[in-house]
Amino acid sequence: MSAITLDRIRKTYPGGPQVLHDVSMDIRDGEFIVIVGPSGCGKSTLLRLIAGLESCEQGEIIIAGRRANELAPQDRDIAMIFQNYALYPHMSVRDNIGFGLELRRVPKRERIARAEAVAQTLQLGPYLDRKPGALSGGQRQRVAMGRAMARDSSTFLMDEPLSNLDNALRVEMRTEIKDLHRQLGATIIFVTHDQTEALTLADRIAVMMDGHLLQFDTPEAIYDRPATQAVAAFLGQPPINLLPAMDLPGWQGPSGCVVGLRPETLTVHASRPAGPAIAGRVTLSEMTGAVLVLHCDTDAGRLVVAAPRSALPPGAGPVWITHDPGKALCFDQTTGARIETPVRAPASRVQAANVIA
Amino acid sequence: MARENRWLAALALLGGLLFLSPALYSIAVSFQTAQSYYQGGFDPTLDNFIRAIGQYDFARYLLNSVIVSGLVTLIGLSLATMAAYAFARFDFPGGNLMFAATVATLMIPSHITLIPNYLSLARVGLLDSYAGLVLPAISNGFAAFFLRQYIKGIPRALDEAAYMDGARPIQVLWRVIVPIARPAILSMGLFIFIGEWNNYIWPLVAVGREDLYTLQIGLARLYKLNPGEGAVDWPLVMAASTITILPVLAGFLLIERHLVRGITMGALK
Ligand SMILES: Nc1ncnc2c1ncn2[C@@H]1O[C@H](COP(=O)(O)OP(=O)(O)OP(=O)(O)O)[C@@H](O)[C@H]1O
Ligand SMILES: [Mg+2]
Repeated sequence: MSAITLDRIRKTYPGGPQVLHDVSMDIRDGEFIVIVGPSGCGKSTLLRLIAGLESCEQGEIIIAGRRANELAPQDRDIAMIFQNYALYPHMSVRDNIGFGLELRRVPKRERIARAEAVAQTLQLGPYLDRKPGALSGGQRQRVAMGRAMARDSSTFLMDEPLSNLDNALRVEMRTEIKDLHRQLGATIIFVTHDQTEALTLADRIAVMMDGHLLQFDTPEAIYDRPATQAVAAFLGQPPINLLPAMDLPGWQGPSGCVVGLRPETLTVHASRPAGPAIAGRVTLSEMTGAVLVLHCDTDAGRLVVAAPRSALPPGAGPVWITHDPGKALCFDQTTGARIETPVRAPASRVQAANVIA
Repeated sequence: MARENRWLAALALLGGLLFLSPALYSIAVSFQTAQSYYQGGFDPTLDNFIRAIGQYDFARYLLNSVIVSGLVTLIGLSLATMAAYAFARFDFPGGNLMFAATVATLMIPSHITLIPNYLSLARVGLLDSYAGLVLPAISNGFAAFFLRQYIKGIPRALDEAAYMDGARPIQVLWRVIVPIARPAILSMGLFIFIGEWNNYIWPLVAVGREDLYTLQIGLARLYKLNPGEGAVDWPLVMAASTITILPVLAGFLLIERHLVRGITMGALK
């Protein structure tokens, strides 16, 4: 049974434009859902609708098999982490975390013990008696997190809960959330701007744009088989290269489409390889650790290539870029929808074939 | 900079003394005998206070004032806070109209409602009672208006967080809004209390029984009853005045430190 079902949700704020357009989602019990999308696309609005803080003029929200449109937030058994934290300024960290338990009549002793245990895992131990006003941004964010974690709800809504943390802490909290998910078996709906977060955490990712749900699928499917050009462009770092098919030498797929080439599926050569290749030169080379991100000016326009650091000798002149036809994506020029390309051979064989040709 | 501050401080002190001087003078006079007051000399005594309380029942008036002002403040503040919360946070049918009406009451001078209030209380037989003194004062449009503005300034996200934590609206009001709005509520309470404490016209109109007199009425009567040999017994009147102002002053000093800073700091990003 699905934990939460959204059925053709429409939302318009009074006096504003329509913010959500017929969004439908089936979220299974215990699933980790990540919602991504550009700023202002309606992610927070969607969470608030599920929470019951906002009502929609059309569509149905079903929680645990029951229509929940008219259910008050208090009755939905959902914990939420707000994008702007919304901590109680007059309460200590301990009381902020324990407030939900207190409202549920958990005995004081147990409540305090639980609040303190949660604070420990969030490294908030030293700040239990402080008020939010005396905490740093990252600490406040963790208190907001702890407030939701202290209650064992069946569903957690998290609106960019890690956005204000430094890198180390973010990675740590990511693990923490994953553990939480495993331990509680809770359903988590998580909004983020961070692609790594989305790809590493999610069972399924929902990609939203301008109030439309563009695709709702596993991270692999979203990355390898994006529904539209927009989804392909949104996910992936460095971003996908998009170019007209006719600019691509050796393209054998349908003509008159837009081809998407992920930077890591391109190969860069210091000397002209056999077979079709795009000639160009490197204008910028970024060292990102294990991988070199090369920005190239080519006959086919600007291309970004992610290559191993050994790919190019230092001070190389002109370069040639080849692509793996098996991994190229193809999009309809007008609608942006992805077209299944006939070339779907395993990568290694195609590569080899290319070189031979 | 430092020198400038010192001058300002001196100026403020001078102004303060100027404002306080009548009160200080009356307190000083209240400890003098009639003789030393009229003929000079210094002869401190508590006799005036003893007479005000023993002979003229000022203890009773004080109790009445405390009861009436206390009830007006407590009930009035509670009603105003709840109305303010409703106005600030909920859309309900007629809400805007009711709020407009609340604000409109600020334009009506109290003297206009004096006689209608008197007549309606007379009809239900509540003149000459505590209820008669308290009832007309508990609906306080200004307090509701003022607190609504303040509550509107508290981020709604805090209400929402509390809802997600499982709170009902009344718990949100009591556990989140009221503690955060405490400085405003306390200020308003002080304001209401002092206003009622100093209220003269309504108790004068509504009460004829001496055991229901408030301090203000007692004070006025004392002044009228004691012309002495053509002269007022000022030390006695001043002792009564001192009894009238001291509780308010004490109350103010007690809650003064709560009146300052607001505390929404740190709630949001
Ligand atoms: N209370 C409101 N009244 C009117 N319009 C609103 C309200 N809240 C949000 N909007 C509008 O709805 C749209 C979606 O907002 P929302 O907060 O859901 O975006 P978001 O995807 O969460 O963005 P971000 O990533 O920046 O947080 C925006 O265009 C915003 O201006
Ligand atoms: Mg948002």
